[in-house]
Amino acid sequence: MPAISARGREALKGYAFIAPWLVGFCTFTLIPIGLSLYYSFCDYSLLQRPVFRGLENYRTLASDGVFWKAMGNTFYYAALSLPLCAVAALSAALLLNAKVRGQAVYRTIVFLPSIVPAVASAMLWLWLFNPKLGLINFALGLLGVSEQPGWLGSERWAMPALVLISIWGAGNTVVIYLAGLQDVPRELYEAAELDGAGALRRVWHVTLPMLSPVIFFNLIMAMIGAMQVFVLPLIMTQGGPARSTYFFTYYLYDNAFVYLKMGYASAMAWVQLLIVLALTALAFWTSKRWVHHSAA
Amino acid sequence: MRVIRYILLALVILPALALIAFGPRAGESLPPGRVVVEYWEKWTGPEEQQMRQIVDAFNATVGREKGIFVRYVSTSAINQKTLVATAAGAPPDIAGLWDSNIVPYAAEDALEPLEDLAAAHGIGPATYKKAYWDACHYDGHLYALISTPGIVALLYNRLAFEQSAADLRAAGLDPDRPPRTLQELDRYAEALTKRDASGRVLRSGYFPLEPGWYVPYTWMWFGGDVWDARSGKLTLTDPKVVAAFDWIAGYTRRLGAGAANEFRGGLGNFDSPQNGFLVNYVLMEQQGPWMANYIGNLRPDLQQLKWPRDVEMTKPVAERRQNYSWAVAPFPSAAPEVHDVTYATFDALVVPRGARHKREAFEFIAYVNRPDVMEKLCMLHCKNSPLATVSREFLDRHPNPYIGVFEELAGSPNARGVPQIPIWPQIFDELTSIGQEMSLGKGDAATALARAQGRLQASLDNFRDKQRQRRGQGGSISAATRGAVN
Repeated sequence: MPAISARGREALKGYAFIAPWLVGFCTFTLIPIGLSLYYSFCDYSLLQRPVFRGLENYRTLASDGVFWKAMGNTFYYAALSLPLCAVAALSAALLLNAKVRGQAVYRTIVFLPSIVPAVASAMLWLWLFNPKLGLINFALGLLGVSEQPGWLGSERWAMPALVLISIWGAGNTVVIYLAGLQDVPRELYEAAELDGAGALRRVWHVTLPMLSPVIFFNLIMAMIGAMQVFVLPLIMTQGGPARSTYFFTYYLYDNAFVYLKMGYASAMAWVQLLIVLALTALAFWTSKRWVHHSAA
Repeated sequence: MRVIRYILLALVILPALALIAFGPRAGESLPPGRVVVEYWEKWTGPEEQQMRQIVDAFNATVGREKGIFVRYVSTSAINQKTLVATAAGAPPDIAGLWDSNIVPYAAEDALEPLEDLAAAHGIGPATYKKAYWDACHYDGHLYALISTPGIVALLYNRLAFEQSAADLRAAGLDPDRPPRTLQELDRYAEALTKRDASGRVLRSGYFPLEPGWYVPYTWMWFGGDVWDARSGKLTLTDPKVVAAFDWIAGYTRRLGAGAANEFRGGLGNFDSPQNGFLVNYVLMEQQGPWMANYIGNLRPDLQQLKWPRDVEMTKPVAERRQNYSWAVAPFPSAAPEVHDVTYATFDALVVPRGARHKREAFEFIAYVNRPDVMEKLCMLHCKNSPLATVSREFLDRHPNPYIGVFEELAGSPNARGVPQIPIWPQIFDELTSIGQEMSLGKGDAATALARAQGRLQASLDNFRDKQRQRRGQGGSISAATRGAVN
């Protein structure tokens, strides 16, 4: 038996240490990913053996009206939620970064919603959005709004309602922005101040450029999250009314576990992955223009 | 430093030891020498506890005698868990699915046929009411028996009828009885609906989406059908099906789309004190017998108008009904000559493919279907019975004093179960969505149903083609013994 070199022994030890993770990764991630790719080319109900059908699932997707409706809803949600969440989270972070009394308390309050379980927050929002008894329409009434939205019962307002909830749960993003804000060098603010920049100009010319890598990171994460939104519509609207909140992942789930079309659902999952990859690539491409990396 | 380290170590180790010593234990011990039958069921809360009583009684009697122990597991998303477990080859011995799961699962050979075991236990067509017995079958095989059934009737607010007697009489209607035809129901609904000065709906006599569970079955009350079993073609554009969905749209047209949407959004959750029926927002709705249990829990005052519950139960049924602010009647059909139309739904007990103890599992299923056990369970769950006959005591002592109405409906020749279409869940979702569109005042029924017909027929044809090919190729585990679907 040939002797193993010291370098080889070291590598073996390394692999031995990561073996539990490696086994888990292969069993629960790599193999399922590979299988889902194969199933996406199959007629597969989960209860029968998969039968290879080539590109049939992908061709069917192209002419599936519900698929396009769900896709449209998902993009609509992302288009509303991404900028609104980013602005709200960044604004909250800037406010929470101010050295004021009770800063920690305010930060905790903003972060709190993101640790509330989705089901609990869904129940809370169901009440808040109740057109007759809810606090939101009550407040709108006090402001003199006579035509109050039907919120979750309305095809027009159900989606904005879900977007509002997503903003409420942006605490995680705020924390990341806060961490980013701590890294902005003080001297840049001082230099800007000496140049006569006011508060808004300092934010525009110093804070935002210095924070742009963090904004970029949050944008990517939020985009992935928006493309996968599922739990809130499942609990709050069941995709309705009239499929106005029926999202891509919801339709994928229905195909896999309700309609017994696991092959079709797998094809959807791969389309979803490709869309996320394309959007991420687009974000990286545009990032050259607006993301500033400070010199080391 | 060392002290702190010991303290930290102790903080980790001591709770772990305490957990081992005093932590939770499995709630049951499995008796040795018995075959353990795994039974997964969907119910939680009181319904779970009530089924547990039946399981415990079985384990203490028939189970002990025959060496069987049923291990009862209450779980959410029962159909998905059963699906995944069956696919993995490790299913429970019994799964408590919904009736709508039977045909799609059976069409995928995921359920064990039960006709031989049923016959051996003396369970046959004469045992059940026809609508239920038929719905347990697919492709000539028996794939399920029933744990508890449901039946859809008209639940109406008797007290509100009395209080609005003048309005009803002014509309030429009798406040002392429920509507008998669908046209009459619409007139009652109109007379009972109240708006404020701005046109806002304060209460609606009837509102199709409250609770809205049976919207995809509305065509049953119009004498239509969504498919032709002989040709295997969907018939969503059948004029009667179109008329059914147009009827739903009619309520939005009359109330106004904006007012109807606002009213709908203001309705509380079903299982809450804000339930539309309980707060007099909706005065008539389609409901099953179990509603008496919900009302008893959420608004007991609505069913104790004259006497407390224990006193009421000492009285004959006709008298008991005076204790209730509500009443029950058959939901009227669009065709006056067709009576007692209803949708017969149920919770199914099935043996998934690959179950290890099929025979023992069926012992429990047969036990549940024994008349005395079934009546006990259905009374606990406040449901009617799927069995062909029921005892006098069942009718007299049932928590819902209108159980006789439900029983008659369930035995009606116009009672129908879930359509036996392998892609029914897809059709159900599509019809639910169309019902919502109609309720939103969006588009017309004929166009929406024509669009759905094309889409769903293609899906059904596709399913059948693939199934034929698969079975022809011997892809199915049990296809050889069962033949083709068509």
